[in-house]
Amino acid sequence: MNDDANDLETLRIGARLAGFTLTDAEVEEIRPMVMAGMRALHALETAPVAEVEPTTHYRTV
Amino acid sequence: MADLFWASMTELARMVATKAVSPVEVVRVHLDRIATLDRDLRSYITVCDEAALAAARAAEADLMSGHGVGPLHGVPYALKDLYDTAGVRTTGGSRILGDRVPEADATVTRRLAQAGAILIGKLNMVEFAYGPEGLNPHYGHARNPWDRAVHRMAGGSSSGSGVAVAAGLAPGSLGSDTGGSIRIPSSLCGITGLKPTYGRVSRAGVLPLAWSMDHVGPMTRSAADCALMLRAMAGYDAADASTSVLPVPDFGASLTGDIKGLRVGLLRSFFLDGATPEVRATVETAARVLASAGAVVDEVNLESMPHVGGASLAIVGSEALAYHAERLRTRAGDFDPDVARRLRAGAYITGVNYVRGQQVRALVRDEVDRALARRDVLLAPSTPIPAPPIDARQVELGDGPSDVRTALVRFNRPFNLSGHPSCSVPGGFTAAGLPVGMQFVGRPFDEATVLRAADAWQRLSDFHTRHPVLG
Repeated sequence: MNDDANDLETLRIGARLAGFTLTDAEVEEIRPMVMAGMRALHALETAPVAEVEPTTHYRTV
Repeated sequence: MADLFWASMTELARMVATKAVSPVEVVRVHLDRIATLDRDLRSYITVCDEAALAAARAAEADLMSGHGVGPLHGVPYALKDLYDTAGVRTTGGSRILGDRVPEADATVTRRLAQAGAILIGKLNMVEFAYGPEGLNPHYGHARNPWDRAVHRMAGGSSSGSGVAVAAGLAPGSLGSDTGGSIRIPSSLCGITGLKPTYGRVSRAGVLPLAWSMDHVGPMTRSAADCALMLRAMAGYDAADASTSVLPVPDFGASLTGDIKGLRVGLLRSFFLDGATPEVRATVETAARVLASAGAVVDEVNLESMPHVGGASLAIVGSEALAYHAERLRTRAGDFDPDVARRLRAGAYITGVNYVRGQQVRALVRDEVDRALARRDVLLAPSTPIPAPPIDARQVELGDGPSDVRTALVRFNRPFNLSGHPSCSVPGGFTAAGLPVGMQFVGRPFDEATVLRAADAWQRLSDFHTRHPVLG
């Protein structure tokens, strides 16, 4: 999801791709939260992790 | 004994073992207090009156017949209502699971029973553990016991666990912590809560929020009681692939009170700088007290902290939605609307976001490891604010405005990402009489040193011995 995800139709399509059918009212309810989340997720792209391998295993000993 | 409900688990275990008090009396005192106070406090979802009294009578019979007793023999405790309990409903704080009665105990439920502990009830919580304020529209909002005039947040998601222990309705409880859900209510309610290292305690039979971030641990009124409970709970479990095969030490043996030479890193930027002035001053004062007792205190900054929020959102949002997706499709109307909104927002997190979150997780873990390579523990506030009123939405922090939800999780999520152990203790009180929590963070699987620092602090202060005035 990118910055264009601020209109209801885009949000509705995104929900449908995840298997949810939301009403206009339900989409409107989550829009502020989704927008705030998008900002936080986009900020992740500035993290210096280009050479960092993601954690994929439990660190058990 | 007067005020038996304020006795610690350690004291109760000793008194029961020496037959100074009957387990039946101990359990009855707590059940009576629940009956008197919990209509207002709303810390319990289910009270196990009859089963607890039956277990107490059996414990007394064992004791009288000279059978060997466990370290928690006859000591009551309560569980956040997401731990499976055979024959006792386990709701996860939800309406959807309101009638769910597990057939088997969670691993830790079973281990505590084997240690002799007596379950007296299941505790209120945020629905499915998804929220830090401690609110629950289905079972009522647990009330912070430290303010009788204003209804303040208990903190969550283990809200009932914090309130019950703070109010003397249980000497100890278990919570779970995905983004601070043990340490936030411990901070706001003025108790001691330990998030162990990821992998130290089994999550088998505990309803998940986000598998890779969930930790389970004790919430009590002292570090010594956390040590007692952790010893009984911890260790490898074949039912949880994430558990470690490392031996479980006697955590109580590390509680020497000696912190001469203990290296304490005071977390300045993001942590102290982000707290309200009153919280910041409280933790700085505590650091000076520790230094005067022989600890070697320096300041440390963690550069990766600004990325923690996005990484936590990517990981928790994805995993939580994956777990609840089917329920959300078929029973959306039965969710707390706020929880449903948060879960739905997870649908917009991409696979790339999730992987990026896991990369940041590695970054954070390695940076915390480096900070602890030259120190024994790190010290920071547990929450930047004391308990806000339940209708508060915005707060002013040391570095600017924040919504309450983000503020509450801010200092906790780094150590859910990294998996390091962290113990929240009462560090002081505000001028208005509200508890201020601070946390000691240690190396992986070194809960012994974390508890040693927390216990030493509690020998130097009396904040953990103060109780709210109730009833």
